[in-house]
Amino acid sequence: MLKITQLIARNATVANLAGSRSLQPRLYSNAVAVNEEATTTTPNAATNADEPIEMANPFEKEPQQCILCKHNITPNFKNVKLLSQFQSPYTGRIYGRHITGLCKQKQQDVEQAISRAQHSLLMPGYHKDVDFLHDPKLFDPEKPVRPHKY
Amino acid sequence: MPSYELSLVLRQLPRPELISVIKRTAESIFNKGGIIRKLENLGARPLPHKVSEHGVVHKEGTYFSIFFDTAPTKILDLKEEFGRDIDIIRRNIYKVEESAEFKCTLHDEMLPPAYRKDVQEIIDIAKRKHKPKYNYNSGLDYYPFQK
Repeated sequence: MLKITQLIARNATVANLAGSRSLQPRLYSNAVAVNEEATTTTPNAATNADEPIEMANPFEKEPQQCILCKHNITPNFKNVKLLSQFQSPYTGRIYGRHITGLCKQKQQDVEQAISRAQHSLLMPGYHKDVDFLHDPKLFDPEKPVRPHKY
Repeated sequence: MPSYELSLVLRQLPRPELISVIKRTAESIFNKGGIIRKLENLGARPLPHKVSEHGVVHKEGTYFSIFFDTAPTKILDLKEEFGRDIDIIRRNIYKVEESAEFKCTLHDEMLPPAYRKDVQEIIDIAKRKHKPKYNYNSGLDYYPFQK
């Protein structure tokens, strides 16, 4: 079946070519005219004001920075007041990067500092320190930057 | 010699005894060939939770940190020595590191997945694992390989 269809297709193309033979001279004449136009327009292209200009993307957004990079803060394990802001008041767990909105490096630093503070008894592990419960909130865990996994 | 920070939690003690505990720890650092750079008193305060150490339950502690330099091989010995001291509730030794200069990568992380570098690397790995597959509509009316 395939071979038959291929044969038909081949024949059809041959027939078309035969049919278009009479049109060929006119086509060639058209092509020549197009070429002439192209050669005449190329010298004008450099000076034409309507041509598109190469420029930087005007709609590009300003590069974002995370809150710790913006204020140039390196988290330290003795700075408990700062670290407890990244801790859930209900469970004491550290909020993830999709909630805190920190860059990868700073999130890693914060997590390391919190675990150090908890090991050296500066910070509770199962809840937030009661003194820091009403501290200003850096982010809303209900509205994460990126969606939750679940 | 690298710099280290020893964060100590001492049990509630009267002042002269507290001084003797700190002198003891400092001398043990000196005996291991170390240098003390700085002493920090972080004060006495209630512990975040009760801690059972050396058979006693502690609810209050005095926080102290000592910055010192020693050979890295002596750190484990120091930790072991402080662990035997019954006046010390917790002792942790952390390396003091200079924070290296780096640029915030948040902007690159917030791009759509197809534009992120790490995602592009994952896609490349997946492409490398891709094996060429036999195309069934290539004109052959039988499968040329062993099934």
